[in-house]
Amino acid sequence: MITYDAIVVGSGITGGWAAKELTEKGLRTLMIERGRDVVHRKDYITEHKPSWELPLRDARLSVGTKGAEDYPIQARTGQFRESNKHFFIKDSKNPYVEDKPFTWIQGDQVGGKSLIWGRQVYRWSDLDFEANLRDGHGVDWPIRYADIAPWYSYVERFIGVSGEKLGLAQLPDGEFQPPMEMNAGEKLVKTGVERAFPGRHVTIGRVAILTQPLNGRQPCHYCGPCERGCSTGSYFSTQASTLPAARATQRLTVLPNSIVHSLIYDAGKNRVTGVRVVDAVTKQFREYHARVVFLCASTLATTRLLLNSTSPRFPHGLANSSGVLGHYLMDHHFQAGAGGSIEGLLDHYYQGNRPNGIYIPRFRNVGDDASRRSDYVRGFGYQGGASRQGWGRGGGERGFGVELKRTLHDPGQWSMGMTGFGECLPREDNYVELSDQKDEFGIPLLKIHCTWGDNELAMRKDMAASAAEMLEAAGCKNVRTHDAYRGSGQLGAEPGFAIHEMGTARMGRDPKTSVLNGYNQAHDVPNLFVTDGACMASSSCVNPSITYMALTARACDHAVEELKRGNL
Amino acid sequence: MEHDDLITRRQALAQVALLLGGAISAPTLTGALDAATRHAWAAAPGWAPRTLSDSQLELVAVMAEHIVPQTDTPGARAAGVHRFVDALLSDHYPSPERDRFLAGLADVDARARSRYGKTLVECTADQQVALLTELDEAAYPAVQVDSPRPPETWFFRRMKELTLVGYYTSQVGATEELHPSPFGAYRGDIPYSSVGRAWS
Repeated sequence: MITYDAIVVGSGITGGWAAKELTEKGLRTLMIERGRDVVHRKDYITEHKPSWELPLRDARLSVGTKGAEDYPIQARTGQFRESNKHFFIKDSKNPYVEDKPFTWIQGDQVGGKSLIWGRQVYRWSDLDFEANLRDGHGVDWPIRYADIAPWYSYVERFIGVSGEKLGLAQLPDGEFQPPMEMNAGEKLVKTGVERAFPGRHVTIGRVAILTQPLNGRQPCHYCGPCERGCSTGSYFSTQASTLPAARATQRLTVLPNSIVHSLIYDAGKNRVTGVRVVDAVTKQFREYHARVVFLCASTLATTRLLLNSTSPRFPHGLANSSGVLGHYLMDHHFQAGAGGSIEGLLDHYYQGNRPNGIYIPRFRNVGDDASRRSDYVRGFGYQGGASRQGWGRGGGERGFGVELKRTLHDPGQWSMGMTGFGECLPREDNYVELSDQKDEFGIPLLKIHCTWGDNELAMRKDMAASAAEMLEAAGCKNVRTHDAYRGSGQLGAEPGFAIHEMGTARMGRDPKTSVLNGYNQAHDVPNLFVTDGACMASSSCVNPSITYMALTARACDHAVEELKRGNL
Repeated sequence: MEHDDLITRRQALAQVALLLGGAISAPTLTGALDAATRHAWAAAPGWAPRTLSDSQLELVAVMAEHIVPQTDTPGARAAGVHRFVDALLSDHYPSPERDRFLAGLADVDARARSRYGKTLVECTADQQVALLTELDEAAYPAVQVDSPRPPETWFFRRMKELTLVGYYTSQVGATEELHPSPFGAYRGDIPYSSVGRAWS
């Protein structure tokens, strides 16, 4: 029997944080990862590769194309390309069941999705933590902004976040490195929007990418495609940030290619005592034991694992005396917004591939009468950016030959686009369960039931209309709205597509209606912690990862204190 | 193993460039390192098409060169656009789309035969341009109409898009005709006249 102080399941954004915090606090920790090992720098096999060295010139591998045969789900996203497909999970070996379309994008390696994430980081505010209590959707969060604020600071100082302070109550400022610069088109739109709509702000994205050196990591060199991996460690990933810190303690063991089948529960002690692991290569089972277990496997993988861990005490899944495990699945709804062209500014250009865009913080339902909507609750923010058209525009226009080549020698006109990211309400009928089918390791497949509700659909109309209204006010021409949603049951802005899936093992004050307490600790099983997106009781409208990180660091602190007190 | 070594060396050089604070450009780096790769793509000895026949390959090369011709910089043929098209058809396109593209090539030759009694490749340059101009005008109507485009216009739009992708992502297109944005600082607002051509 192999025993550790702590087991962390998963090595992505939260798994890396849990490993770092627990090892630094003195715990001998085993971090278990389903996928292969990815070594910082060495395994970034397409980093800085010029386009002509990629045989398909970095083609997007869409559904049905050769090269995407094993990835029918991952290929739904535009991010899935020739240059980064090795950082996405192989759907053919990791199937799940969709009741209606739910696109589940997953990493399958040490580092998880931290290698390919969007890197946008925004703090929640009390507008978010009090939302469920105020409008009655979902259960009240057991924490408030004051509980997590110092942990946001702690995380930001370690991962490095560049951004601009705005002093907004609904989007608290953080510990920022200098912001990246806006380009001329964005500055024009910013000026126009802020003049026409007092109280709205156009700011550069707050992003976990360095603009100054930090802990041996170098500032961004603006090569562009972060998701190929970054040898200078300029964006936050497990490999660049938390893994080296955890390794430096010499208390970390990393176990790749190891799928956690289920948790081992001791009813006499009412504790988890370890995990059952299947070797992805040999398919042999092993057990590992520890005093405390952190689940950081990603929202749905964590819940699948809990559902598959049954016992006479917990016949419907471990720590599920409430019966809410698997329910209240959320994602952000997006791909509703507008775009337009900007006239002039033809002697303005930019240099460098800035892996970041602009952000417009939420301005609907922010607490005052003026911002209150009668047609929906909660709100949305926008992400977008301006750029000059490139050579690709030639494919949409008549003409060829010397004249076309001469035209494409220069950049085209400016255009500006933005898409909303909207909050999703927690609803009981959006849920996951175990299906009758099993994967090659004998683990039941997850079956996902999730659709957008009336509140999301009403909000989307405003997301598109308000974007167009702001672009028009800023003087943009040819303004067109867009909404990729094609109806329930259709592909197109379907749930999961924002890759912000969360909920299904929510935090709450009452053990009868929630799985986790205010420290991400299972109400039912004191030495079990869940700190990935599964813990979320509502979704806010901002990108969630930094909140997961802060909750993880806070939960680790609590767990170690409780261990010292002998309570676990 | 060679592959690993190449990556490691390139990354090492990139790191050095960054440490020196220099905005060394991607083509400078890759130019120093990847001559072998460049030659392999542009004109590998023994290279042969895997989907296109020799005559189809030449037809693609001729059309591509008309779309992006040699000027003071090399054109589509020198950039190997026809080889890129063969790679896409072989390794990326689903079979129906590949077949549709091949049918489009056959249609071009059928038009050339009915008009001039020979294949497009055999036509004079003026005849070729005249035919391609017809295809271009049909594919991009001057007046936008709501009705769906006629199916035969799909091919020329696709051919033009592939030519542009193949050319501007080639080393010639990306570093001689245009230029890649250098690694280093981001500058959000610079005079266009200070760079003079689009970033690739």
